[in-house]
Amino acid sequence: MSVQRLRFHGLFRKYFLVLFLAVVIPLAANGISEAWFGYRDQRARLDQLLGVEARSAAARIQGFLDDITGQLGWLVQLPWTGELDERRRIDALRLLRQVPAIVSLTLVDGSGRERLYVSRIGLNRTESHTDRSGEPAIIGARSARLWYGEVSYYRGSEPYLTVAISGNRPSVGAVVAEVNLKLIWDVISSIRVGQTGYAFVLDSPGRLIAHPDISLVLRGADEATLAPFQAARQAVGPTSAGFATSHDAEGSPIAVAAAPIPGPDWTIVVEQPLTEAFGPIYAALWRTGVLLLGGALFAGLLAYALARRMTQPIRLLEEGTERIGAGQFDHLIEIRTGDELQRLADSFNAMAAELAVSQERQERIAKLKRFLAPQVAELVDRKGDDGVLEGRRTEVVVVFCDLRGFTAFSARAAPEEVMSVLSEYYDALGAIITRYAATLTSFSGDGLMVLVNAPVPVDEPAVRAVDLAVEMQVSVQELIVGWRERGYRIGFGVGLAMGPATVGRIGYENRFDYTAIGSVVNLAARLCASASDSEILVDATAAEAVKDKRHVHPIGMRLIKGYDEEFLVYCVGFTQRPQAS
Amino acid sequence: MKRREFISLMSVAVGWPLAVRAQQPALPVIGFLNSRSSDVDASFLTAFHKGLAETGFVEGHNVTIEYRWAKGRYDQLPAMAAELVRKSVAVLVSTGGTVAAKAAKAVTRTIPVVFTTADDPVKVGLVDSLSRPGGNLTGITALFIEAASKRLELLHELLPRASTIGLLVNPTNPATLIESSVVQSAARGHRVEILSVSTDRAFEDLKQKQVDALLIAADPFLFARADQLVALAARQAIPTLYFRSEFAQAGGLISFGSNFADFFRVIGLYAGQILRGAKPSGLPVQQPTKFELVINLKTAKALGLTVPPSLLSQADEVIE
Repeated sequence: MSVQRLRFHGLFRKYFLVLFLAVVIPLAANGISEAWFGYRDQRARLDQLLGVEARSAAARIQGFLDDITGQLGWLVQLPWTGELDERRRIDALRLLRQVPAIVSLTLVDGSGRERLYVSRIGLNRTESHTDRSGEPAIIGARSARLWYGEVSYYRGSEPYLTVAISGNRPSVGAVVAEVNLKLIWDVISSIRVGQTGYAFVLDSPGRLIAHPDISLVLRGADEATLAPFQAARQAVGPTSAGFATSHDAEGSPIAVAAAPIPGPDWTIVVEQPLTEAFGPIYAALWRTGVLLLGGALFAGLLAYALARRMTQPIRLLEEGTERIGAGQFDHLIEIRTGDELQRLADSFNAMAAELAVSQERQERIAKLKRFLAPQVAELVDRKGDDGVLEGRRTEVVVVFCDLRGFTAFSARAAPEEVMSVLSEYYDALGAIITRYAATLTSFSGDGLMVLVNAPVPVDEPAVRAVDLAVEMQVSVQELIVGWRERGYRIGFGVGLAMGPATVGRIGYENRFDYTAIGSVVNLAARLCASASDSEILVDATAAEAVKDKRHVHPIGMRLIKGYDEEFLVYCVGFTQRPQAS
Repeated sequence: MKRREFISLMSVAVGWPLAVRAQQPALPVIGFLNSRSSDVDASFLTAFHKGLAETGFVEGHNVTIEYRWAKGRYDQLPAMAAELVRKSVAVLVSTGGTVAAKAAKAVTRTIPVVFTTADDPVKVGLVDSLSRPGGNLTGITALFIEAASKRLELLHELLPRASTIGLLVNPTNPATLIESSVVQSAARGHRVEILSVSTDRAFEDLKQKQVDALLIAADPFLFARADQLVALAARQAIPTLYFRSEFAQAGGLISFGSNFADFFRVIGLYAGQILRGAKPSGLPVQQPTKFELVINLKTAKALGLTVPPSLLSQADEVIE
């Protein structure tokens, strides 16, 4: 049973796994590939987005500087002649007002001498004629027209940049401007990358020039403050190809991209928190995960239901065959799947029905065989009903026989000897009764009663009965020879009578016997009782029936116990077989 | 219902909401110390609240502010600062000049202080450096005093023939000495007369000392008396240059100085950042970048002055 249960579970598991995997594998493959391609697309998009942001931010910072240099250009258009004229001074003052980032302006003539210095807070100077031709700003402006200096920190805090610009010919001189880079804040703080991303600017040595949090810029060249920004630029690398990942000051992962600001050789770095940058892909992954989980759950349920549906009929079949095997033939395997399994179940049911019929027949035959000759029993069974066993009145030949002196013998002899004698006796008689297809109605001790012509009628029942009796006598007499040699004084007598009797089954529940009731039975029994050893007594009716065919002779009138008048009794003559010894 | 039961029930009903209110986490408290009065600094307060709001703090909603106004009596500032420290405020905002900042610095070395000063905060010993304040103080400097020489230059440009310049100072403010020396060193051939407001006759002395033009020293108290000063200057018909645009807007002739009201936003921003956990030692002291020149042409006309175009071209605001 446990082995079968195991196999059953195995089948269920197999079906379940196959169905489940059949759904889940394509689902998972689809989900994973989608997530992978989504991730790649998002990376590519991020690459593009951050690249564009970085370039546009760089353009805006460059625009801030270009605006300043463009304004400065106005001051280097007219050549220097003689004294400083008032208009040039007013132009310089107006420029200061126009460009708030410019802290001071120094105008230098063609020979490199300072002619005018105007400052936002400091005192103005005119015509100082200080020789400035050796200063890097003037040399730079003269050689490249536009020159950017190094960033310096005013009072160690505010980043200042020196910008020098020269005119298109030496006589117009040059202008040197100090620019307060704190004012880039207006530009940098307006740059937003995504929701929370921002941009910052580093100069070539890696100092922070612009950042939305101005206090970071104002800390000046502070290594601890600058480290994460320099690390971010380092992560992007010099090629500025695509975005890289780094960590911000709080240690959170960020996506960074950079673009150069060519003028002053700065780098603008845009950064976006990685969680935000990959937000869409995380959302997609999450969605895919949930869908996958839902799909797997659904597949599990589906597979469970299908596997159950598939194994249920098999289980029913298995259970049904088990019950049929155990003899429960009335068990019906109910499968309504409309397929091969139903057909199988139907044939199982048919088989069980046939087995039931067959078994019933077997049982009936076995029962009939107890008192009918096997061939009669078969016959009754073949006819399909035991109507023949119903009570009725018919002409029968009743044969009684018993052993003479058996009671005395059984009182003396040991039980084993008694049983041995009886066993030999019944073996011999049983074979004969069977051979003659006679009906054994009862036996008790050493006597037995046999019916001929009931329940199944035979041709010439009297002849058959006489032959039966003769055969019995012959056989038993042979046994008697043996018994006598062992010192047992036992004889054997037979009586038979023919006449109408009531035959049928009597008994209760499963204990039925087939018997005959009527005076013919009494007569036969009395004839048997009055027969001496090796004698077969026959009544007149039977004798009449066999007189031409068998050798019977009357032995005279005899008074039979229980009858008032005397009967003519006949004796069957027979020859004993020669002694084997 | 018996009376005793009723009373006990009532006390439960009354006491319960009080208990609930007491259980709520206490709002952080900002101590706001100012050397002037609330009406003078109204525009600053607006900027301050704007800065606070940028860090997500709204007064009465998630932050409480304890105000202390000295109303020009600088000697009361140390006691007020001490009182705020006793109330264990989360941040002490000390505004209205170096005097207030120094009063705050004197009473605590642990509570973060956000100050405003017109001086160089390194020179007056408030912080170690602008970029790295170092201690428990940070704030903004208006650079009014640094711009003093520029004011003298502008006055000279307006009145090239003026030979004697008066400087009106508040002697109770230590910054006076610094500003006086800055102005005198920038005088370059001018005569500078230092006039003290502590003498009642400061304005009467103008004529006697043959002062051609007047500079007003950067001082919270003098700012608080802006209307009086402008009226006095008009009565004495003396061309005066002030350190804040509010004077010119109130009728003063000309003013030059940083746009302080706008800059005051940083104070609120820093106070908010400190409430959010920032250390004042890491918040650089900020300097103004915007300096405004305001010229009141009505006053100039009344004084019979012609403002040269070089000045007008530089003016951020011209009141006509």
